[in-house]
This record gives sequence, C-alpha cells and structure tokens, in this order.
Amino acid sequence: MRKLSYLFMALACMFLAVPVFAQGGEAASAVNWVAITAGFSMAIASAVCGLAQAKATAAAAEGLARNPAARAGIQLALILGLALIESLALYTLVIIFAKVK
Amino acid sequence: MQEQLWFTALLNHLFAGPVTALLQAFHIEVRHPQAPIPNSFAMELSVFLFLVVLFGLVRSRLSVESPGPLQHIFEGAHGFIEGQSAEIVGHHSEGFTPFLMALGFFILFCNLLGLIPGFESPTAVPVVPLGCAICAFVYYQVQGFKHAGIGYLKHFAGPMPILAPLMIPIELISHLARVLSLTIRLFANMFAGDLVTLVFISLVPIGVPILFLGLHIFVSFLQAYIFILLTTVYLAGAVAEEH
Repeated sequence: MRKLSYLFMALACMFLAVPVFAQGGEAASAVNWVAITAGFSMAIASAVCGLAQAKATAAAAEGLARNPAARAGIQLALILGLALIESLALYTLVIIFAKVK
Repeated sequence: MQEQLWFTALLNHLFAGPVTALLQAFHIEVRHPQAPIPNSFAMELSVFLFLVVLFGLVRSRLSVESPGPLQHIFEGAHGFIEGQSAEIVGHHSEGFTPFLMALGFFILFCNLLGLIPGFESPTAVPVVPLGCAICAFVYYQVQGFKHAGIGYLKHFAGPMPILAPLMIPIELISHLARVLSLTIRLFANMFAGDLVTLVFISLVPIGVPILFLGLHIFVSFLQAYIFILLTTVYLAGAVAEEH
C-alpha cells in the first residue's frame, strides 16, 4: 500500500512537466536521432556479442580442461563459433555505416 | 574522383583508353573516362600478379632432397588445409584443396596489403569480399551437383518430403544468407580495422597505432582462415551423403 502511494506521488510530480507539450514543435533544434540511435544500437550489439563470446569461450575452456585430447575439435568449434557471433555485431556496424551520413 | 594510389595512377595512365572503350562496349557508364580503374581493382591486380610470381617461384624451386624454406611454408599450408578439409568433409576432400589454397592466399594477401604504405586493402571495399563469397558459393554448389547430380536439389527439401514447401524457401534464403554473411564478415573486419587505426593515428600519432597494425595482421590471418573454414563447412554440407 505504501509502495502504491509512492508510485502515485511520483506520477503526480511527472504530470507537472505536461506544459512542455504546449511549445509548438521547434524544427530548428535538429536533434540528430540517427546518430544517437546508432551509438546505442552499436553498444547493445557489442555488449550482447561480448556476453555470447564469453559463454562460448568458457564452454571451450571447460571442455578442454575435462578432455585435453579433444583439443583439435574443441579449438575448431571455438574459432568457428566466435567468428559467427562476432559477425552478428559486425552486421550492426555495417547498417550504421550505411545509414549514418 | 577518388584519390588514386600510385599503382592505380600508373595503370590508368597506361590503360585508361582501352578500359574505357571496353566498358562502353558493355554499355556501362564511365564517370571518369581518364581514370576508369578504381583503387580496389588495381590493388586486386597487384595481389594477383604477386601471387602468380610467388607460385611460379615455389614451383621452380620444388625439390625432394633439399626443400627450401618457401617449399616448407607452402607444404605446411597445403597440409593444414588438406587436413582440415579431411576432418570436416571426410572422404574425397583432396580435390578441394587447390581452390581453398588459392582463395585463402588471395584473401590473406589482399588483407595484408593494407599494411604497406602506398597500398590499401582491396577487401576494405564491399565489392571484393562479395566477389570472393560468390566464388565460394558457386564452387560449393557446383561440387554439390557434381557429387549427387540433380539429386543435389533434395538437400533443399529438408528431412521429410511433407515439409518440402516450407523448407525450400527457408533453405534458399539461408544459402543466399551465407553469401551475405561471408561478404559482410570479411568487409566489416577489414573496414573497421582501417577505421580504428585511422581514429587512433589522429589521436596519438606515435606508438599507439603500432598496436592496431599488429591487430590488423592478426585479424587478416584470422579472417582469411575463417573464410576458408566456413567454405569447407559449406562444402561438407553440399557433398554430404545421407546414410
């Protein structure tokens, strides 16, 4: 009940900001949304790519620790997996260069 | 007009007339008739000439009793690719080695060419990796048809005939996506490497860019290897036999 009352108080404060909408839209402010979005999307792509590659590397290291004789196969799977995951982050980079002037 | 490297300027000076005439015979619009050859083509040509000279040199120095260092290097590369394709494709994989070696060396030297001042990597332009990817795609499709005849098309139908109407568009798109992914992977790695080196040279001109050039060397080898590895995997898929 207390949390709900806090929520309503926060919402009431936010309604104070409504007069901002009364400004006629200024076209001359020229916020470059494409560049901002490009930055965020590349950051998200790289972050998720980093997590995925960490998981792949950890699995490969563990497999190698359990069975050092299987080194060739594990190394192959690791390199292949890392390259495929990396290419997904690179697709985002290519879209950015195609779209950001 | 893009700024020309010295080799491009030389080629354009010598061959601009005939090349422009050839392009116009195919009804291709030539924007700069005095410089129809772009930098990427000139760089590809220089890699091609270098490789022809290199392979000729290796061929002339082959010897059974006293192999020189060049022979050792090429035997090592040949054995590596042959071993890898035997592991991934299985039987009858020796016939793929010449194509994979040629493609691998071409991509490797194209990537490394960017390190030399006065040259740039042709693979940093989207068209060149696209060409390599199309070559690999055509090669593995042809190998698939050679291995299984017209029955190669059954690969696209999926595991059960009842799923065929669903699987055929999915398989076609996934095969075309392989061309796209091979292209973009190689292009984006080389292009991003160039960009990052440029950014750091503009920030700290001395010392730090050496790390990025070292990274570029490592990425060149790795991306050439990945290209060949993926082509081998696609070959394995194309010549696979259901038991």
